[in-house]
Amino acid sequence: MNNIMLPAPHKILKVVKETRAEYTFRVAYEGETRHGQFFQLSIPKVGEAPISVSGKGEGWVEFTIRKVGRLTEGIFGLGAGDLLFMRGPYGNSFPVEEFEGKDLVVICGGTGMAPVKTLLNHFYDHPEVCRSVHLIAGFKDLDCVLFTEELEKFKGRFHTVATLDTMQAPGFQTGMVTAHIPAIPFARFADYNVVIVGPPVMMHFAALACRSAGVPEEKIWVSFERKMSCAVGKCGHCKINETYVCLEGPVFNYTKAKDLFD
Amino acid sequence: MTHPELNAAREGLYRLLSRLYRQEVDAPLLERLRGMTFPQTCPQPELEAGYRALERWLSAGTEDALDALAVDFARVFLGAGSAEGCAAFPYESVYTSPKRLVMQDAWERVKSLYAAHGVRIDTDSSELMEDHIAYELAYMALLCREGAERAEQRAFLEEHLLTWVPDFCADLQRCAGTGFYRCVAQLTLGWLKLEEGLLQAEENAPSPFSCRVSTPALDRILEALGKEYRIYAPKRFPGRGARAGSDLVRYAPIRSAAEIVTDAPSDFSAKEIFYPVNQTMLYFQDDACRESVLSDQREILIFARPCDINAVRRLDQIFLGNGGEQDVYYRRLREKVRFLLLECGGGWDTCFCVSMGSNRTEDYSLALRLEEGGALVQVKDPAFAPYFEGADACAYTPGFVEENRRAARLPVIPDRETLKTASGLDFWKQYDERCIGCGGCNTVCPTCSCFDTVDVIYNETSRDGERRRVWSSCMLRDFTATAGGHRARSTPGANMRFKVLHKVYDYKARFGGEEHMCVGCGRCDRRCPKDISFYDAVCGFTQALEQEAEHK
Repeated sequence: MNNIMLPAPHKILKVVKETRAEYTFRVAYEGETRHGQFFQLSIPKVGEAPISVSGKGEGWVEFTIRKVGRLTEGIFGLGAGDLLFMRGPYGNSFPVEEFEGKDLVVICGGTGMAPVKTLLNHFYDHPEVCRSVHLIAGFKDLDCVLFTEELEKFKGRFHTVATLDTMQAPGFQTGMVTAHIPAIPFARFADYNVVIVGPPVMMHFAALACRSAGVPEEKIWVSFERKMSCAVGKCGHCKINETYVCLEGPVFNYTKAKDLFD
Repeated sequence: MTHPELNAAREGLYRLLSRLYRQEVDAPLLERLRGMTFPQTCPQPELEAGYRALERWLSAGTEDALDALAVDFARVFLGAGSAEGCAAFPYESVYTSPKRLVMQDAWERVKSLYAAHGVRIDTDSSELMEDHIAYELAYMALLCREGAERAEQRAFLEEHLLTWVPDFCADLQRCAGTGFYRCVAQLTLGWLKLEEGLLQAEENAPSPFSCRVSTPALDRILEALGKEYRIYAPKRFPGRGARAGSDLVRYAPIRSAAEIVTDAPSDFSAKEIFYPVNQTMLYFQDDACRESVLSDQREILIFARPCDINAVRRLDQIFLGNGGEQDVYYRRLREKVRFLLLECGGGWDTCFCVSMGSNRTEDYSLALRLEEGGALVQVKDPAFAPYFEGADACAYTPGFVEENRRAARLPVIPDRETLKTASGLDFWKQYDERCIGCGGCNTVCPTCSCFDTVDVIYNETSRDGERRRVWSSCMLRDFTATAGGHRARSTPGANMRFKVLHKVYDYKARFGGEEHMCVGCGRCDRRCPKDISFYDAVCGFTQALEQEAEHK
């Protein structure tokens, strides 16, 4: 019988230091993943946690991991050539087909940029299937800025606002992501979708700010980060009401997300 | 094989056969067939021959197999281009009507049967009629899935499938141009014959009988059973209770009837026998990991009351049903378990099984009423009949508790708005002060299924270690804490709300049916070191919700 909890070893191809506390691991992986999916990553002897795919290419996937907690600490000791145990991919994904041919707004905070980055790259690589992309990427301060190179790249093709919560720095605006939402020309869009990913409080207020700007609930998409021990609907940690985030999520339309009460 | 497993296996084969007749074989299906392991021995000769022939055909596999199969499918089943009339039209009507026409009596009968069962077939999109073999096989799969009465299953088999499929299979054997469809014919025929025998045997199986045994006789039976099974029952551990001077009653292996505790509730449920508190899932060695193995392969017998037997169905739902994939670690122990029903004499002050609809059960092999000097026993599973040969027959059927000393009032939550109101009630805040988040309630609960995984290292200098899973608890402070430190629920009150709603609303909302996650065993009420009553929480919450509705 197929054991859904059994991880397999995958070789680490490259480690990129994004910030002092965040590294990106490129891991050998043959297979399909969809935008917004995640894997259960484990380091033998430490533990297992759900980590979003932050990048993908031919024969590899990337995970961007923040140095917090015991699990992620263990990963930081690994380098190219080491093995990473993982299983997945899990979860649903952003409905990319529904986004195509329309305008897209992506609002992300901190590591929330990781789960939307492959989506952004999809539209960066295929400008013909998207009318426009507006990106608001918020970070706490300059030390927390992730994916610096790709942010620069996105600026070339997307309407990009990179913002720091309270700090001033060249190339960045200042203020929470919510402060920049009123400037998005929603009224000029024929049809559009809004993706919001980040810490729970940030997602909550960003969604409210979008609603105030006249965005209908059904155009808003969010992705939840939850504790998970299994990712297959057994361990119970990610359950909200009758919904299991690992099975029905992590991506939810706001019409559903707003009705989940923790 | 237990009943649910047998039914699942039967359903699987019916579905596969149905698929083979419904459409041409496509690449994914061929891939799936090639990946299948077929039974190595089979009591039915045609089925056995069919399996072996199919294995040979699949392993021989030619490049243009799919094209050849598609041509054969169209020719044999649809009659495409067959001037000589060598075709096997897969409709009951064709084989049972005098002029061999479609849409005759058999079709009418099958249609009304489906309708009576609430099955509607979208014939427009499928272009097949209701008495097509694919649908008749799918209908049997449905009956298996629903665990329909054996008589109903046998009736459909005998009144429909067996009246024509043998002839049809003979035609298919004769007309098929590919070895594949000749195998399918063999398999179908063999399978239906096996099914006929199986269903007949079950109906002829001895019906339950009851007897009276003395305590020494019961002990001899337990001794004999103990050679084949691990036997568990609630057992007393003097002085080991949570409160000073009290006894602990929990499930443990027993050897004699005297060890079975019936005069007190058990502090812990039976779940730890097949869902251990702490269980090794896998071992890491260098650059590989492997699944742990079960050291004891014996079957397990558990003496349990109806509430506890009913609780196991909830655990089954999570571990075997939720998410569509089965949990290997749970299943490998769970499939060994058979229940010996302990008749419940009336329960205790903390019980409310009747409110939760978990006071009755049919899921047991034996039922026992333990009395002074012996026991009354109902032997339901014929496998146990030999152990009771020669015992004095009597008229015993187990009684069930029909009324508890208390009855829970459950919340009525008809819509999302009410759920939102329920979540926001001030009622929950009282638990911020009272609950200390120890998780004891979850630990004694027979339906709590949540777990954490923990990796254990043997030696700091090597990679060797293992991953274990341990029970978790939604009442613990960090149950929802992510690596970043965010907690989705951060107060004991929020945890209490989550637990109560999970037990008396969420589960039923997710899985449908009539069952809640709570079976009303009352263990959590007895366990709480702060004397928080789950029963009071449910009733109080229901009342608070009603009051809130009146206010609005």
